[in-house]
Amino acid sequence: MRDRHLKYLLMMPALLLVTATVIYPLGYAGIISFMDWRLSRSRVPTDFVFLDNFWRAFFDDPSFLNSLGVTITFVAGSAGGAVLFGLLIALLLARRGRGYSIARTVLVLPFAMSPALQGTSFRFFLNPEFGIFDAVLDTLFPFLAHVDWLGSSGWAMTWLILTDMWHWGPFLSLMLIGGLLSIPSDTLEAARVDGASAWTSFWTVVLPQLMPVLAIAFVLKTIFSFKMFDYVYLLTGGGPGESTSTMTYYAFRMGFTAYDMGYASAIAFVLALLLVVVSAVYFRLLFPRGEAG
Amino acid sequence: MALSPRQRGRVLFCLRGIAIAVLLVVLLGPIAWIFLTSIKPLSDVYTMTLFFDPTLDNFRAIFERPFYVGDRLLNSLAISGFTVLIGVPVALAAAYSFSRFSMRFKKTLFFGVLATQFVPPIVVVLPFFLMFRQLHLLDTWTGMVWINLSIVLPFAIWMLKGFIDTIPVEMEEAAMTDGATRLRVIRDIVLPVTIPGVFVAGIFCFIFSWNDFLYALILTRKEAVTLPVVLSTFYTEEGDRWELMAATGTFILLPMFAISYFVQRHFVHGATQGSDR
Repeated sequence: MRDRHLKYLLMMPALLLVTATVIYPLGYAGIISFMDWRLSRSRVPTDFVFLDNFWRAFFDDPSFLNSLGVTITFVAGSAGGAVLFGLLIALLLARRGRGYSIARTVLVLPFAMSPALQGTSFRFFLNPEFGIFDAVLDTLFPFLAHVDWLGSSGWAMTWLILTDMWHWGPFLSLMLIGGLLSIPSDTLEAARVDGASAWTSFWTVVLPQLMPVLAIAFVLKTIFSFKMFDYVYLLTGGGPGESTSTMTYYAFRMGFTAYDMGYASAIAFVLALLLVVVSAVYFRLLFPRGEAG
Repeated sequence: MALSPRQRGRVLFCLRGIAIAVLLVVLLGPIAWIFLTSIKPLSDVYTMTLFFDPTLDNFRAIFERPFYVGDRLLNSLAISGFTVLIGVPVALAAAYSFSRFSMRFKKTLFFGVLATQFVPPIVVVLPFFLMFRQLHLLDTWTGMVWINLSIVLPFAIWMLKGFIDTIPVEMEEAAMTDGATRLRVIRDIVLPVTIPGVFVAGIFCFIFSWNDFLYALILTRKEAVTLPVVLSTFYTEEGDRWELMAATGTFILLPMFAISYFVQRHFVHGATQGSDR
């Protein structure tokens, strides 16, 4: 057999599977989003309604517009927060030495923990009567003792973001530690000889060198934040009210509690488009000369 | 208050130590608390006490009616296992092809495969629900493996291509000039050196499908329910059974921690190669 055929043959199973698992469903979802299809009334799509579902979302459904805002708040907070948390961890632990490398072994654990388990557990930890987080926080900050963490909209969103940061920060820090340790030590040494304080050399030497890794971490995290579902479902249930109902969660509710397949697909599709636009903008900004390809 | 440089250094060292200690407590505390809760007797579960008689009652309870965590454990193992067994070899073949051969549209194709990772799962799961309903694949291992491949494949292709890219191509060329066929080269030269990469990719894929919640929540009902979904069934009418969740959680965590040891070795070594010693 010649390479000419082999190279396609080797690729074929993967391309077929990717098509069957993503491309085809994506097209299918696109078609459904133009249909009126309520599963509670009919086993098959009833009508072709063109853009009605999208029209309804943007002009006739405050809950959808709310979910759009919630999504943007969550993505901004959790992407920014997780990268900052990761940077903080990296700065603490990017040192040579046995103690540090043992401490670094812990960093993979939060990421390996199932988000579903994390959501259920953190919900218990935040319970005002018997939660460990609540108990610790009330001791540290007595003026917050009366707060029902998941019962007020501001705090629920805060905890949604913090939960996500706990999962991702340590993982992103592993990427950043790699970047930090690869900064040549004589660059830092030179800055010190020139009389730069740790603070100035962080801003003038470390941060610029780390920028490419930070940028990648940020893009990666933004994409995953858009897709996040588990924490909303298990930690806050979208509440209180609709204050943490992200687009993913709202599409899920429309699809699997209201059984409105057409409308749910339309919402999911808007989310996918939003993600495409945001990542396109990022790639433009970060890799201006097409370095990504 | 002026400090000498030496004193300053010492203060900074102490502050760093305290910060690291706080960090470790924040990261490990919640995990430890889940373990502790899982072995607490019911009377202590809703208290903050650290002193209690450890018991295995919670573990006994989750394996019995109506939770049957044993069956769910088997589902989780089988679905993640088959996903890895199918996904990784398929990804390896494609990754080799992407890495070694030149062809038209290769870049576009590779980027296209990666771009599928941008597609939110909620978009994919709606049509899958409708398709599986028609094909009678709802609530089956086959269906779950199929959809899990959508998370795992692009990632594994990307990871393995990166790995194969770092292997020098000279050996393969030498063997080819000696008359070996491409397939023999792949089997005898490429495969042996790729094993570590395959192993790491396999571990990541296992973690991803083991921890999947959204797909299992929507596409399983009774028979093929996986461990993460069981967690939501403990919100019962008699109240939330936190001690049972913690016991189930321990089962979700254990294999993850065992294998994340290897992942961490790969990562930390990859990231800090040669700098530790």
